Amino acid sequence: MTISSLLRLGALALGLVAGAVPAAAQPAARMVLIPAGTYAPLLRTTKDAAQVPVAAFLLDELPVTNADFLAFVTANPKWRRSQVSGLFADSSYLEHWTGDLEPGAKAPPGAPVVRVSWFAARAYARWAGKRLPTTAEWELAAGAGYTQADGRTDEALKRDLYAWLARPVPAVQADAATARRNFHGARGLHGLVWEWVDDFNTAMVTGESRGDTGLERDLFCGAGAVGAKDTTDYAAFMRGALRSSLQAKNTTTALGFRCAKNLP
Amino acid sequence: MKTTALCLLLATVALGAETPAADCCKEKPAAKQDACCAEKAAPKPDACCAAMETATFSKDSIYQSDVTFTDDTGRAVALGSLRGRPVMLDMFFASCGYACPLTVTDMLAIQERLPAEQRSQAVFVLVSFDTVRDTTEVLAKYRAQRGLDGQWIILRGDDDAVRELAALLGVKYKQEADGMFSHSNVVTILNREGEIVHQRQGLKGGLDEAVAALAGLAAAK
Repeated sequence: MTISSLLRLGALALGLVAGAVPAAAQPAARMVLIPAGTYAPLLRTTKDAAQVPVAAFLLDELPVTNADFLAFVTANPKWRRSQVSGLFADSSYLEHWTGDLEPGAKAPPGAPVVRVSWFAARAYARWAGKRLPTTAEWELAAGAGYTQADGRTDEALKRDLYAWLARPVPAVQADAATARRNFHGARGLHGLVWEWVDDFNTAMVTGESRGDTGLERDLFCGAGAVGAKDTTDYAAFMRGALRSSLQAKNTTTALGFRCAKNLP
Repeated sequence: MKTTALCLLLATVALGAETPAADCCKEKPAAKQDACCAEKAAPKPDACCAAMETATFSKDSIYQSDVTFTDDTGRAVALGSLRGRPVMLDMFFASCGYACPLTVTDMLAIQERLPAEQRSQAVFVLVSFDTVRDTTEVLAKYRAQRGLDGQWIILRGDDDAVRELAALLGVKYKQEADGMFSHSNVVTILNREGEIVHQRQGLKGGLDEAVAALAGLAAAK
């Protein structure tokens, strides 16, 4: 047996041991298959592709809930509210929870967890053996209607989506499982909370012109003309605007996340 | 079977919930941990685990992040290994035709302008956005072309590491359809603890402030 095969054996054993523990502590989240498709970015520079191919992947059926997140902070003390580094989460991180390990009345177990930073969402996903979806993946999944793969012509979806956008953020989030399934079986992509994506920080060309991320050529290399593909897709504008306004440590009252995974 | 035992031992340590030393392995899925031990294990735990075992970083230190990179000689570099020296850090990509070369030129000018003693302490770090094309060889060639001396560290990483570092620095970036990157132009100065003390935004001006910030750090031991 060579050294390298010994190493591999060791690594395998490590993987098995490591894999077993989080699985025991972690709630099993059901995932749905999002078939391969193309994502047409709403806002793009002249250099961006009009169509981004997206490979098939698995996506959590529901956003991560308070109960799920409680399991995560229980297993990973450094992500508890009182212990988290200010570098990785701002001061309103899990502010609505009663305590470090008590979500409390404002954070029912089945409701999506909110007030979590991108770093925290990413750490959760890693712990769960998953990852955050990319913008293209999330938008592809969320582009489906209730009964058809293309949500753009699904009047019921559009009605619900705009009704949600018009409603103020509720003091207590609804149970995630109450959300209606979309064509792919995912629930609550619209109508519950906004969701982090892994590459949220690519959304710069839509960003405000303060700071370094404006369109001025000196501040931002490669700034090109920005053009919107479909100006009727108001909700996508809002998502783009939100992403471009965020820093990775930010938390808000209506921003949660769900995880994705490559197909095995 | 010594190595296997070592890896198992590491696994045990890594899984101890109260062991801050093992943060770098704790949250990572199995695949990451494989890489952790399999690639560089042989005589000792890899750089990321080793750095974490000895270090408790300040609450504002970006070295709390457990991401690791590879330099232009193929050596694994944990962010935390930069601790103890004033750092000037820029994210770039080697095939960049506009902003990155200008920024590197400015960084070279800043290096030149530092008083000799302070110059010897500072370290200049370039981290590539281009996880595909900027291989170790490409980065080594870049070093030669730009005449970057031993005080420059040129790093590449996987998507995960690059995105996390960018998030820590507030750098936004995006790959265009032609493979080039749009990105914020931000040069960051870190103190010896890895805390951000200064950021130069944009391409014009700011050299005096950057020199002052870096010199101040180098002078303060």
